[in-house]
Amino acid sequence: MSKAEEIKARARTRQELCRRVKEVIVRRLELEINPDWISDDQALFGRGLELDSIDALELAVGLEEEFGVAISDDNMDVFGSINKLVDYILEQGGGQEVERVEDAFEG
Amino acid sequence: MKMPLKADQIRQFLPHRWPFIFLDQVLELEPGQRGLGLKNVTISEPFFQGHFPEESIMPGVLMLEALAQLTAVVYTTGSLPPEVLAGGGQVALAGFDPAGRVGYLVGIKQVKFMRPVTPGDQLLLEARIGGRLGLLSQVAVAARVGKEAVLSGHLVVSERPGAEEEADGD
Repeated sequence: MSKAEEIKARARTRQELCRRVKEVIVRRLELEINPDWISDDQALFGRGLELDSIDALELAVGLEEEFGVAISDDNMDVFGSINKLVDYILEQGGGQEVERVEDAFEG
Repeated sequence: MKMPLKADQIRQFLPHRWPFIFLDQVLELEPGQRGLGLKNVTISEPFFQGHFPEESIMPGVLMLEALAQLTAVVYTTGSLPPEVLAGGGQVALAGFDPAGRVGYLVGIKQVKFMRPVTPGDQLLLEARIGGRLGLLSQVAVAARVGKEAVLSGHLVVSERPGAEEEADGD
């Protein structure tokens, strides 16, 4: 794989992960919105998606179950935006499942 | 760990009193993790007077209250040093006030009531603490009468803000 292809593949993985995180947020919190309406940099709490601390707990449990990443009191700033969440999931190696799915499509 | 508690011991871990204490015994207790409790439902309960005059049914919200009280016992016992807990009924003498640490109910979700609970039923209550974040914890709860499921669902409970510092200061 050339350097350019590698960067493209990584971007696709990230995009797919963003999409999945949004889908998980909407499903777990039973939000009555289309996941695509959430932008990658939108704030999740307060202004923005208007989530509260009870939603944060539900989301922490959901993200642990679906992506295998632990969110604790010490790293709650990952809830800042979809981009921050995805950064964290990738950093923790929790996005691998997505890559495998993509490989399967391409193979 | 099995750590049964009788009604007179339970009062040390809860601020609740008659007519609003709905936990007769704790049959099994893993402090901070899970508990199995018992509530005997009798026709003498004050709420049967009005719920309903012609048909005695235990209000579903009071079953949730009973489960929240069991949760509080699981939670408060989880904050005590093991050697204090081992003393069973002597918690107050050891200078602790676990009942003062009981927090608040902040959420109820996906609760199902499968059948009415009536006088003579023995409610078996189960609470299992799950994910935590900040002051909040999710709790999986269930109730049954004999082998029959009566209720299942989830609670979200909050610690009393500042309880940690108070405990450290003791």
